Amino acid sequence: MDSFRNKFIEEAAELIDKLEVSVLELEKSPNDEKLIQQVFRVMHTLKGNSAMFGFDLIDSFTHNLETIYDMIRNGQLEVSKDILNITFSSVDHLKAMLDEQNYEDPDFKTVHDGLMGKINSIINPGNAETVTQKTETTKEKSESLSTYYILFEPNEDIFKNGTNPLYLLDELCSLGDHKVFAHFNRLPGIMEIIPNLCYTYWEVLLATDQDVNAIHDVFIFVETDSKLEIQKLAEENLLADKLFVEEVSQLAEVQKDVGLVTIQRLATKAVARINKEKAKQFTKERIATKDKTAASIRVSSDKLDHLMNLVSELVTTQARLSLFAEQTNVPGLAPIVENVHKLTRQLRDIAFSIVLIPIENLFGRFQRLVRDLSAELHKEVDFIVEGADTELDKTIIENLSDPLMHVIRNSMDHGIEDARVRIANGKPAKGKIHLKAFYSGASVIIQVSDDGAGIDTETIHAKAISKGLVPSDKKMSKKEILDLIFLPGFSTARKVTDVSGRGVGMDVVKKKIADIRGEVEVESEVGKGTTITIKLPLTLSIIDGLLVSIDSSPFVIPLSSIDKIYAVDKESVYNSFNNLVTLDGTQIPFFSLRKEFNLKPSNEELEQVVVVNFEDNRVGLVVDYVIGEYQAVLKPLGKHYKSHDIFSGATILGDGTVALVMDTNKIIKMFATRK
Amino acid sequence: MDTENKNQIKSYLTFKLGNEEFAAHVGKVLNILELTPITKVPKAPEYLKGVINLRGAILPVIDTRIKFGMPETEYTNNTCIIVLDIDVDGESVHVGAIVDSVQAVLEIDNSQIMPLPTLGSRYKSEFIIGMAKVDERFIIILNMDAIFSVDEITSIVDSNQTINEETDPQ
Repeated sequence: MDSFRNKFIEEAAELIDKLEVSVLELEKSPNDEKLIQQVFRVMHTLKGNSAMFGFDLIDSFTHNLETIYDMIRNGQLEVSKDILNITFSSVDHLKAMLDEQNYEDPDFKTVHDGLMGKINSIINPGNAETVTQKTETTKEKSESLSTYYILFEPNEDIFKNGTNPLYLLDELCSLGDHKVFAHFNRLPGIMEIIPNLCYTYWEVLLATDQDVNAIHDVFIFVETDSKLEIQKLAEENLLADKLFVEEVSQLAEVQKDVGLVTIQRLATKAVARINKEKAKQFTKERIATKDKTAASIRVSSDKLDHLMNLVSELVTTQARLSLFAEQTNVPGLAPIVENVHKLTRQLRDIAFSIVLIPIENLFGRFQRLVRDLSAELHKEVDFIVEGADTELDKTIIENLSDPLMHVIRNSMDHGIEDARVRIANGKPAKGKIHLKAFYSGASVIIQVSDDGAGIDTETIHAKAISKGLVPSDKKMSKKEILDLIFLPGFSTARKVTDVSGRGVGMDVVKKKIADIRGEVEVESEVGKGTTITIKLPLTLSIIDGLLVSIDSSPFVIPLSSIDKIYAVDKESVYNSFNNLVTLDGTQIPFFSLRKEFNLKPSNEELEQVVVVNFEDNRVGLVVDYVIGEYQAVLKPLGKHYKSHDIFSGATILGDGTVALVMDTNKIIKMFATRK
Repeated sequence: MDTENKNQIKSYLTFKLGNEEFAAHVGKVLNILELTPITKVPKAPEYLKGVINLRGAILPVIDTRIKFGMPETEYTNNTCIIVLDIDVDGESVHVGAIVDSVQAVLEIDNSQIMPLPTLGSRYKSEFIIGMAKVDERFIIILNMDAIFSVDEITSIVDSNQTINEETDPQ
C-alpha cells in the first residue's frame, strides 16, 4: 500500500506542478476557456486520485477548489485576481498537504481553515458553510438524468376528493428539471362550466435522476381514476437541449396537445443530436489523452541511471573488443565487431535521448517565482519564456534550478528598476525579463536578459578595488570588470534585501554551473539591461571524441568542437614567429600541445593540426598524430584535479590505459591569457 | 566497516620513504598496487603524478616524496602505490600514494604511541598522529586524511621550524 501512496504522491506532485503552470497561463489570458477547462481537469484528476488513495483532506479541499472553476466554466463566476491569488495559495497548500506529517502542525491548520473559508466565500458569498453538501447533491444528479413524458388527465371530479392537482404537479416538478404544458381545450363554454369539476389536463416533461416508480408515487392516490401516461423518452436531459424544448413548446401552442407520439419523435431526434455531440467531445478528449499516454511511460530515474551506467560499460567493453579484433587475425571476427560497434553506438544514442527531458518544468517554476517577486517588490514585469521544449540531461536540469533562480532573482531585484525610475528614463513602466533556451552545436545556451538598469562597470570596479579584490592601478577591459561579479564575496546590492544580496551571489552561480561543466558569461549595458548567458553541455557522461597522441600519450578532443584536421610539416610549426599557420589560404593561430604541455619536440616530419572552434574563431592545436574517432565514457579526474579544469575528465581505452579528455575552450583560454 | 570498528583495530601499514619509516592506519588503506604506467596530466602540480585505471575508475596518484618535500628518486621494483580512502569534508575520496617500499603490517597499541616532541620536530604537528618505537626503530604515524586532503598542497615539513633553527642563535 505504501508504494501506491508513494506513487500517488509522486503523481500528485506532478499534477500540482501542472496546475501551477496552467493557473499561471490563465492569469495571462483569464478568458481562455481551454485553460479554465484544463485547470478544472487537473483539479478533478487530483481530487479523484486523492480520494482513491485515502487522502481525504486533499480530496475535500480540491473538491471545493474545483467547484470554483466549475462555476467559472459554467459562467457563474469570472476569473478574478482574488480567485487566482487564492488558487496560488491553494497550490502551495496542496504541496504541503502531500506530506501527512504536516497535518498536526497548527500553522498548517490555520492555513487550511483560512483557505477553506476563502474558497467557500467565493463559491457561495452568502452562506459559506453549506457549500460542500449542496454542490455534492447537485453534482450527483447531473450524472444519470433521464427524461420522462407524463400525461396527467385527472378525473373530472378530482376536486371532490379534496385533491388539488396543482399540488401533485408541484411535487412532480420537485423531482428535477421540468417543463409543464397545461391544456385548457376541454373547457366548455362559460355557461356550461361546472366550477367544481376539473377540465384541465397537463403534459409534463421531466428530467430527473429518479426512476419511474418515483413518478408513479406522486400520483399514487389519483392513479386509479385519472388518465396517467408515463413514458421514458431518453436517458438524457433533453430539457438541456434548447432546440428540443423550443420545438415542443411551439407544438404545444398550436396543437391542443402535443401527444406522446410526436414528442417521442422529437425526442429521438434530440437524443441523436446529443449523442453526436457527445461522441465528438469524447473523441476529442480521447485524442488528447491518447497523445499523452501513448507518448510516454513512467520509469524511475534509478533505472535510467542504471541503464546509463550499463551503456557506459558496454561502450568501454566494445572498445576492448575492437582492439582485440585488430590484434588477433581471426577471419570473420572483424564484421561482427563492426556490427557490435554500430549497435553500441545506436544504443548509446537512444539511451541518451531517454535521459533528456525538456526544460519546460523548470521554466514553469520561474514563472511562479517572477509572479511572486513582482508582487513582493512592486515591480511589474513581463516574463517571456522561449524554447521551453529544449531538452537537456535530467541531472543538468536538476542542478540548474538554483543558479538560474538566483540569476532571475537578481534581474528582478537589481536589474529592473522601479516604475517611476523607468518612466523617467523613457522606458515602458513594465519591465521585461526574457528567458531563452536554444541549441548551439553540442551545447545548450540559456539566456536571461532584462531591460533594466544594467551593470555600471565603474561602480563595480571601484567596489572591487575598495574590497581589495583587484589592485587599484590595474587597467581592466569592460569584460574583465563585468567578470568581477563572479568573484566570491562580491555583491553589488546597496542594501541587503530579502530577495538577493546576501553576499552569496554570482560566484555560487558560477561554481554550480561549472560543476555541470557549464560556463557563465555576463553582458551589460548601463541603462539598457543585462544578459546572463549560461552555456551547458548536452550530456555529461559519454562524448564523441577524436583520439590523438601527443608524446605517445593518448588524449581525446571532443568532436563537437573540431572543425577540420590538417597535416603540416614540422618546420612551419616550429619556425613560426607569430604562431600563425596558413591552412587552406587562411591564417590560423595555433598552439603546439607538445610545447604547451612542456614536452620535448617530436622527431616526426609531419604533424597534425586539429582546428577547433573557439568562441568565434578557429584555432589550431598541434598534435603528433590522429588515431581516430572514439566514444569516450567520461570519468571524473577526482577532487585532487578539481582546480585543474583544462581536462574535463578521463576515459579508459580498450587496452586499459587512461586518456585525458581535453576541454578545448579552457585549454585555449589558458594558453591565450598566459601570453 | 564503521569508524568505531576501525578505531579498535590497532594494525598499521608501514612504508619507507628514503630511510625514514612511516605508518598509516590500515583502516585508511584499501589496496596496495604494483607501480603501473601512470598517465601524466599536463600542467598539474608536480606532486600530482597523474592518473591510473583502477578497475575501471580513474585514480589520481600522488608522489609522496614530493608531497613530503623530499628529493625525487627513480622508481624501483619496490616502488608501490598505496590506495587510500581519504575523508574530505565527510566525503570519501580515493587516492593513490607512491611510496619507496611497503614494509609490514604492525600491531601498535595506543599506549605505545607517543606524542611528537613539540620543539625541534621536522614535521608539522597537524599531519602527525604520533611516534611509536618498535624494535628500536622510530615509526612516524601519519594522519593520512590531513596529508592527502584535497586543498593541502604545502609540504608537511614545517618550514618555520627550519627557519627558526637556522636564524635562532640559541
